[in-house]
Amino acid sequence: MAYTEEELKKELETKEYEYGFYTDIDSETFPIGLSEEIVERISAKKNEPEWMTQWRLEAFRAWKKMDEPDWANVHYKKPDFQAISYYSAPLKKDKYESIDEVDPELLATFEKLGISLDEQKKLAGVAVDIVVDSVSVATTFKKTLGEKGIIFCSISEAIQDHPELVKKYIGSVVPVKDNFYAALNSAVFSDGSFCYIPKGVRCPMELSTYFRINQAGTGQFERTLVIADESSYVSYLEGCTAPSRDENQLHAAVVELVALDHSEIKYSTVQNWYPGGKDGVGGVYNFVTKRGICHTHSKISWTQVETGSAVTWKYPSCILKGDYSIGEFYSIALTNNYQQADTGTKMVHLGKNTKSTIISKGISAGKSQNSYRGLVQVHPRATNARNFSQCDSLLMGNDCGAHTFPYIEVRNNSAQIEHEATTSKIGEDQVFYCNQRGIDPEKAIALIVNGFSKEVLNKLPMEFAVEAQKLLEISLEGSVG
Amino acid sequence: MITIENLHAQVEGKKILNGIDLDVKSGEVHAIMGPNGSGKSTLSSVIAGHHDYEVTEGTMLLEGEDLSEMSAEERAHKGIFLSFQYPVEIPGVSVTNFIKTAINANRKAHGLENMPANEMLKKIREKSALLEIDSRFLSRSLNEGFSGGEKKRNEIFQMAMLEPKLSILDETDSGLDIDALKIVANGVNKLRSKDNAIIVITHYQRLLEYIVPDFVHVLFDGKIVKSGTKDLALELEAKGYDWIKELV
Amino acid sequence: MDFQEKLLASHIAFEEEIDLTDPIHQVRIDSLKTFEVKGFPTRKDEAWKYTSLNTLIRKDYELFPKAEKSIDLQKVKKYFLYEIDTYKVVFIDGVYSPFLSNTTHDGLDVCLMSAALTKAKYKDLINTYFNKIANQEDSLTSLNTSYTREGAYVYIPKGTVAEKPIEIIHFSTGEEKSLWLQPRNLIVVDQNAQVQIIERHQSLKEHDVVTNSVTEIYAHQDALLDYYKIQNDLTSAALIDNTYISQDRNSNVKVHTFSLGGKLIRNNLNFHHKGEHCDSTLKGITILEDKQHVDHFTLVDHSQPNCESHQDYKGVYAGESKGIFNGKIFVDRLAQKTNAFQQNNNILLDDKATVNTKPQLEIFADDVKCSHGCTVGQLDNDTLFYLRSRGIPEKEAKALMTYAFANNVLESVEIPILKKRINLLIAKKLGVNLGLGL
Repeated sequence: MAYTEEELKKELETKEYEYGFYTDIDSETFPIGLSEEIVERISAKKNEPEWMTQWRLEAFRAWKKMDEPDWANVHYKKPDFQAISYYSAPLKKDKYESIDEVDPELLATFEKLGISLDEQKKLAGVAVDIVVDSVSVATTFKKTLGEKGIIFCSISEAIQDHPELVKKYIGSVVPVKDNFYAALNSAVFSDGSFCYIPKGVRCPMELSTYFRINQAGTGQFERTLVIADESSYVSYLEGCTAPSRDENQLHAAVVELVALDHSEIKYSTVQNWYPGGKDGVGGVYNFVTKRGICHTHSKISWTQVETGSAVTWKYPSCILKGDYSIGEFYSIALTNNYQQADTGTKMVHLGKNTKSTIISKGISAGKSQNSYRGLVQVHPRATNARNFSQCDSLLMGNDCGAHTFPYIEVRNNSAQIEHEATTSKIGEDQVFYCNQRGIDPEKAIALIVNGFSKEVLNKLPMEFAVEAQKLLEISLEGSVG
Repeated sequence: MITIENLHAQVEGKKILNGIDLDVKSGEVHAIMGPNGSGKSTLSSVIAGHHDYEVTEGTMLLEGEDLSEMSAEERAHKGIFLSFQYPVEIPGVSVTNFIKTAINANRKAHGLENMPANEMLKKIREKSALLEIDSRFLSRSLNEGFSGGEKKRNEIFQMAMLEPKLSILDETDSGLDIDALKIVANGVNKLRSKDNAIIVITHYQRLLEYIVPDFVHVLFDGKIVKSGTKDLALELEAKGYDWIKELV
Repeated sequence: MDFQEKLLASHIAFEEEIDLTDPIHQVRIDSLKTFEVKGFPTRKDEAWKYTSLNTLIRKDYELFPKAEKSIDLQKVKKYFLYEIDTYKVVFIDGVYSPFLSNTTHDGLDVCLMSAALTKAKYKDLINTYFNKIANQEDSLTSLNTSYTREGAYVYIPKGTVAEKPIEIIHFSTGEEKSLWLQPRNLIVVDQNAQVQIIERHQSLKEHDVVTNSVTEIYAHQDALLDYYKIQNDLTSAALIDNTYISQDRNSNVKVHTFSLGGKLIRNNLNFHHKGEHCDSTLKGITILEDKQHVDHFTLVDHSQPNCESHQDYKGVYAGESKGIFNGKIFVDRLAQKTNAFQQNNNILLDDKATVNTKPQLEIFADDVKCSHGCTVGQLDNDTLFYLRSRGIPEKEAKALMTYAFANNVLESVEIPILKKRINLLIAKKLGVNLGLGL
């Protein structure tokens, strides 16, 4: 007989988070708690210049005066910021000269994650920077990139080796006092990736950062800074996983993108932090600030596939400062079990003839809540601004919620703004149609969800698109409807 | 091919099929006709294994194998194909992607590897030519925004691709103009062979001019009340379904 | 003493003027407490993000206008639908005007809230309906409740079709330098009954007047209500309209809001479904100029299965005007088979005009059809070119197109003379000559 809804639910629930392993690597972890002293210790540990230490302290002082935001449509137990360790790093030599020096346990971890550094090294495909528990452990392809003048390294290295660039741009897009989590990140970030593409250079390969939280009781606070100089191009990928733990882990990252005149940055994320168990225990709190600034004729394109985390609070944004600049946001957010996501974007039109596109696909299953929150703002000077937004929600089962909160603020009469939103479900008739053609219910749902998400999946670089499709499949624990 | 004996079925507690007997052999085409509400579409859904329909009595054997415990996809793997009266839209999933997924799911069920891409492509070209389907059509989302004729042609295209043993064409003629009807019928006729069988479900005789059946059955009130050759269809058309009511 | 303190302090005086044994005495006291705790909303409240009451409440207002004034009918005739026979409940500076009114108790009740609140025969009705659907947590609604004394009371009994439309009109004369009015209306349409209501607020001369109005509407099973709000006041007048509608099974309620003038208008329009198969329609035309400000805040609370709602708001903004649309559709997990549609289209005519729109969907049921769409833009260039190529000057062509853009919301207006009047009003606002045909 065919699947009943209940049987299907059961079968799908047995899917487990497949990245939920913990690797036993020797690590150095700071005691829990946060104070000026800890901030200074992090800075000292990284041998940072005085200006950086002061910058962190300024952020810390600002943070102490701020309140955790509560406007998002998410409910969770507020983290105890004094119960987290703010620094944890795999014990290692100062720097790896070659891949062979990397801790074999760590390498094994990467294998499990599907990233073989060896392979990466051989195939001219993707350059990878890997951050485990906030510390960059390996960057590949440095040499090839170096020949083109491209700097791709951990942010700690950049602070040492390229202080002028870091000093100029860090905090220029997301100021230290921007918001609660951004301030916290500015104070305590331990590592992250840095990338600079020189004038006129088209980066020949995808740059990729892989983030992983490994240690218990730690938070991950990485900081990414990407600068595309005039007329340059870069495509940047970011992936994340974490072990399954019954406690909530905090991830508060900041990503800043600077697209100078005529440049283009494509930033893609596949976020698969541990979402918590199917009973809602544990999981990562993903409170991330991502923002890019577009100068004249430049373009920033955010693409995200969000399937992980217990709570997501994330709005990759574009400040369209330069005339003729373009901002894009393509998003798939899938929530299941007790996951909550409040995600979207801000498109701030400041320059003339600026254009933005927002395509958001929300998929809610289980007992999850999925919200789109977006702001399109057209300032008085932004003549001929254009925006098109499309927000579609797919509900699977009757215990979840899909919400849409678009804010549209227009202060220029030449603007043309269009926003559309729809809500739908997976029809039983669709599933039966697939069954009749020999496709089982689970595969049928995956097919339908992939179809629903297609416009966004198409925006991902090929190798990521495949991974993302698989992820969507794995993360689904829904019902036929 | 398929042997149905004393089949009773109900939906939401409402009895629709009240003892169907039907024996379809390889190489045969059977037409099932009947007025609206006689149970024609229910019969096709029951054979295909739709879970809204509950079989309360009787048996269905496909090449001697009992279907009753099989899920819809298992029946498809065994070679049952249903051309839907109202094909379903799946936004974002292209015709090609859908058929690829279906073919590979069927192959997997038979322990075969995925069909190599070039072979798949060749087959798609061949079968789409059979049904005069434009290649642009193949990249469109499944049934989304398709005209009535396009939907039905797409159903027969899938039938051609999947090469089923038993095909059930449920009101394939509804919503088709005469040109589209000819293309669809021509496609079906080319797929007829001594190894497969077809059940054509229709309200009107029109389709049977193009897909000529070996046998015609008249369904009324959930039972086959009269069987005959293709002449029965003509008689039915001439006399109308009221004639059947008088027979009962 | 600021105005909020004045409101709190004056309540004792207000209560003394009326009967303290009044059964709703306690309701007034409780509501005042709510207002005291919450105060006036500020832009920190998400629901008031785009509208500030600061400039209004910084001023001082008279709370107790002098009793009974008269106005010459000829001077105000144009504000009535004088072409047809209607029931009328008219207030001048907040006080009932028997001379201008035409009430009834013949088969249906079209009369005064003050009568309903005090007369014994209405006691049960007041207990059943008064302050029940109104949001008791809302500060401005609570403020109105605490000062409840006057307004319109309409009761259409079971199976009755009101043969004439009802006009509820509030005039302010300007004899008081500044005035704060708080009318309270209660409208009950019983099973299978039908009625059409037109509500209007009108200043007769430039003076500071703020109206904080609350209307509670109950549409019982199979009832049909058609409600029109005409907001075309002088630029010295502000209006905060709080309307709460409760719909029983199979009822159909339509509310049209025509916001064509005023200093600041805030419409809080709330629909609550209490039975299946309710049909709700919310339509609005907003045409503003100068520094006018209109904020439409709508809520459709789909708590029951098989209900429908249709929203269509059009806005045309000139000068430095500001338009806000904040529409919320809420679908409870029980409300399967809901169809909820929301459309908000806006045209900005001038450089300094602003529009903020926030259409929201909150959906907890899966088998629903919900959509919203909103646009902000200009007139279509191709159409403009087409009209010009037919010899219509650009200015006229633009006016004509804008008129056409706004005008189609009128299709659902059921009172022909009202449709014609609004049509003319829109045409006049946009500088379109409709010719003799209309």
